[in-house]
Amino acid sequence: MEGSIALAAPPRPPGIWRQGWFRFRRNRGGMLGLVLVGLVVLVALTCFLVAPYDPNDQSAMLRGASRQGPSWAHLLGTDRNGYDVLSRVLYGAPTALAVGLGAMLIASILGTIIGGIAGYVGGMVDEVLMRCAEFFLVIPVFIVILAVVRLFGIMVVGTALERVPHLNLMTIIALLGLFGWPPIARMARAEFLRLKQADFVEAAICIGATRRDILLRHILPNALPSLIVLVALGIGGAILAETMVSFLGFGDPKAVSWGQLLYFNYESLKVAPWGSVAPGVAIFVTVLGFNLLADGLTDAFNPRLRQ
Amino acid sequence: MGMLNYIARRLLFSLALLLGVSVILFALINAIGNPIEILLAERPGVTEEIIQSVSQYYGLDGSVTDRYFTWLGNLLRLDFGTSIIYNQPVGDMLWTFGLETLKIQIPGILLALALAVGASVLAATRQYSRIDFGVISGAMLGHSLPGFFFGIILILIFSYWLGWLPSYGAYSTRNLLWDSELADGLWHMVLPVGMLAFFNTATLTLLLRSSLVDVLRQDYITAARASGLPERRVVMGHALRNAVIPVLTYLGILFGLMLGTAPVTETVFTWPGLGALYIMAIQQLDYPLIMGETMIITVMLVGATLLTDIAYVAIDPRIRLG
Repeated sequence: MEGSIALAAPPRPPGIWRQGWFRFRRNRGGMLGLVLVGLVVLVALTCFLVAPYDPNDQSAMLRGASRQGPSWAHLLGTDRNGYDVLSRVLYGAPTALAVGLGAMLIASILGTIIGGIAGYVGGMVDEVLMRCAEFFLVIPVFIVILAVVRLFGIMVVGTALERVPHLNLMTIIALLGLFGWPPIARMARAEFLRLKQADFVEAAICIGATRRDILLRHILPNALPSLIVLVALGIGGAILAETMVSFLGFGDPKAVSWGQLLYFNYESLKVAPWGSVAPGVAIFVTVLGFNLLADGLTDAFNPRLRQ
Repeated sequence: MGMLNYIARRLLFSLALLLGVSVILFALINAIGNPIEILLAERPGVTEEIIQSVSQYYGLDGSVTDRYFTWLGNLLRLDFGTSIIYNQPVGDMLWTFGLETLKIQIPGILLALALAVGASVLAATRQYSRIDFGVISGAMLGHSLPGFFFGIILILIFSYWLGWLPSYGAYSTRNLLWDSELADGLWHMVLPVGMLAFFNTATLTLLLRSSLVDVLRQDYITAARASGLPERRVVMGHALRNAVIPVLTYLGILFGLMLGTAPVTETVFTWPGLGALYIMAIQQLDYPLIMGETMIITVMLVGATLLTDIAYVAIDPRIRLG
């Protein structure tokens, strides 16, 4: 009798990712977010084909046609430098994604390592690392980033670094990453702390799994769903932060970014509002997409949070 | 006793934090070399002696560590030094510009709190209704709409198209519409405060609504209802008071966010506050001003966090001090 039960192996239950996807699919907000993010990614991949003009084409200015309102030739008008606004906005998408993904890649690697060590090792190490995280959480990050971008820009003058293309943009990405890890580290710590005592981890220890296997194959994959939510939120946040840095005039003058567009066109808001409104809407759609996506992911992976 | 101990520990941490930020920034600023040299480079008639005497005047001679401790010593006596660009005491400037910043931020957050309470009560008491859905969607949209872009749209509509409100500054140079300075000041505050309130309302509503929905499910609310209290008193008296507590800690974070992004807000509205001053300072490498600004903003930020933490503990006896 007992033997027959053991023989009938139960069908393998769907994993956390499949389960999450089933729940995510039913979430209208999350799906809308996925569509918006998909749209931005699509634009970023195809802007070279779709954009009607070259992003650096200023010929409209030579024709005296800068600050022209939307027309068939320029669907979103031209800005004060004679650029075609639509083309510039489309070409801003790859920049935005590079900033968001680059910054969060750095932040999530740092955060997972620091948080993971703090949670798994515990004790004094945990205390020190979490104090560090708190330090980075409380300082006025945006203010510090502005100063560092400006000062770093002066420091590289006359060195070999000066010739690196898009150095300014890369500095911003690196800074956003360096200052963006604490929330991820806190979550990683909590997850590693929780999973360390999970039954399946104890089972893995019992069968003699190495510490490396336990950390990378048993704990990390199970911590990922919670971390993904923060990464999605962080991508939107990083894009917004880069936009604000650029809007204040500390961005990369050679990069085509939405913040740069706002910076250059804000002065002529009164005569050519399309130059400011179009990139603003692009930022809004992107940030909204990532926020909704993060919201949907929270519901999908932590269903108990919302009844 | 636990409370005092807790506050003392937090204060100590805040002090360490301030020192850390000042050391990092001071090192960075000095890594670019003598700012006087950079500012005066390639000006006609500037000799080595002039650079040296100007550097001496601003205390830029001597080793970096010496200068740091001089700066720190002066700071303890609340002497922030003299601004290189404006040639004014940094302390006085921070006070003047700081008041302008607080003038839009404090009304911005208080107005937001009032609006958020209204919207959340409306939504949470009608969970899953159309009103609830509308409030959540609106809050989510507002939360994702970059504040400065919303400000730009406000200017476009209310200043340029309708012509009702000024698009820049905190005061009129010539009083065109209002006789009193107070009315003129308020008139200029409408758009910046509106923008800050909008952004904060969206975030606070998202938090407060879900907190209120949670509280309304608790047994003591059912008990209050069963005891025959009118629904209004159950919601406003019993539920709201408990639901607001987790949101209170967030007020500190929001205030910090507002303060941190003040450069953006104040650029959009050309507002003469700390943020706009900060942009000037880093553009012009006015290092006493950069240091002073960063310190004051960090102090305000840490102070706000500390205050909300203490308020949290003081209001809710269930919170244990950690």
